[in-house]
Amino acid sequence: MPGDVESILIAAIISWILFVSIDLLFGLPKTGGVSGAREIAGEIEREGGSLHGGYMMGNIVCSPDASAGTLLAACGVYIAGIPGGLAAAVLVYVGNRICYDRGYAGTTGALAATFLIYGFTTIGFSAAHFIAGMVIAILTIQGISHTHASRLLSRLWGWRT
Amino acid sequence: MNELLLGAFGALLVLGAGATILEHDPYKKIISLSVLIAGIIPFIVDRGLLDVATAVALIAPLSTIFILMAVRRATP
Amino acid sequence: MEDITTQEIAILVCVSIGVISAVRVIAERNTMKKLPFLNVLSFAIAGSLALLLPDPLTILAAAAYFVGTTLESNAIASSYAGGPKNDE
Repeated sequence: MPGDVESILIAAIISWILFVSIDLLFGLPKTGGVSGAREIAGEIEREGGSLHGGYMMGNIVCSPDASAGTLLAACGVYIAGIPGGLAAAVLVYVGNRICYDRGYAGTTGALAATFLIYGFTTIGFSAAHFIAGMVIAILTIQGISHTHASRLLSRLWGWRT
Repeated sequence: MNELLLGAFGALLVLGAGATILEHDPYKKIISLSVLIAGIIPFIVDRGLLDVATAVALIAPLSTIFILMAVRRATP
Repeated sequence: MEDITTQEIAILVCVSIGVISAVRVIAERNTMKKLPFLNVLSFAIAGSLALLLPDPLTILAAAAYFVGTTLESNAIASSYAGGPKNDE
C-alpha cells in the first residue's frame, strides 16, 4: 500500500481526469452559461489566454459542475459511504437548479465519482485522499496560471470536436 | 482543532477583514467579505453547530445579493 | 509528528491551499480574475469542513456552503457584467 502523500497525488490525477473529461463531455467550454461566465472568459482572453478554456473556467466559477460534484461526493463517501455520495448528488442537483443551470454535468459527475471513489476505497485508498486530491486538482485549473490553464483546456476541447 | 488549523482559519479572518477595510472598489470589498465568511464557517462547524453553519452559509450570499443592488444603484 | 493520521494530512493540504488562494485573491488586482481564486478557496473550505467533523449533517452544511458561495460568485460576476438583464 502506498503512503499518504503518494495516495493523495494519485487521487489528484484520477479526479482531474474524471472531472475534466465529464466537463468536456457535457460541452462546458462551448459557451458561457450566464453573462458572468462570459465576462470572466473575456477577461482571461484579454490577458493572453484562450476563449474556450476561459468559458469552461467561468462556468466552473458560476455554477456547481462536475468538479463540485466530485468534491461533495468524496465528502459524502468519507462520511457515510455510498448513501452519503447519493445524498451529495441530490444536493448538487438542487444547487444547480438554484444557479440557473440544467444541472446534468454536476449530477453525473457526483454519481460517477461516488462509485469510482467507493471502488478505490476497497483497494486501500481513503476518501480523505480524494478530498485533498480534488482540492489539488482544482488548484491546478483555477489557481496557478489562468493563461496556461485556459490554453490547455482549449487544446483538450479542440481534440474533442 | 489544533493550533495550526486555528492559526490558518484565523489568518483567513484577519486577511478578509483587513482587505475589506482597505479596498476602495465596492466589488472588491464584497469579494474580500466572502473571504471573511470562509474563515468564519469552520469555527462554527468545529463546535458542532451544524444547523447554525448551514443557516449562515445560506444567509451570507443572500445578504451579498441585497448589497449588490445598492452597489449597482450607486454606480450605474 | 511521528503519528500523523490520514485525516490530519488531508486537512493540512486543504487548509494550506485555502490560505494560499486567499492571499492570491487579495493580491490580484483585476476584479473578474479574483473570482477563480475565490472558487479555489471555497473548494478548500468545503473539503476541510467534511474532514473537521465527520457527521451526516456535515454533508448538508458543506453543500450549502458551496452552493451559497457559487451563487454569490454568480451574482457578483453577472452584476459586474451589466446585470441579469443581459442573460438570454
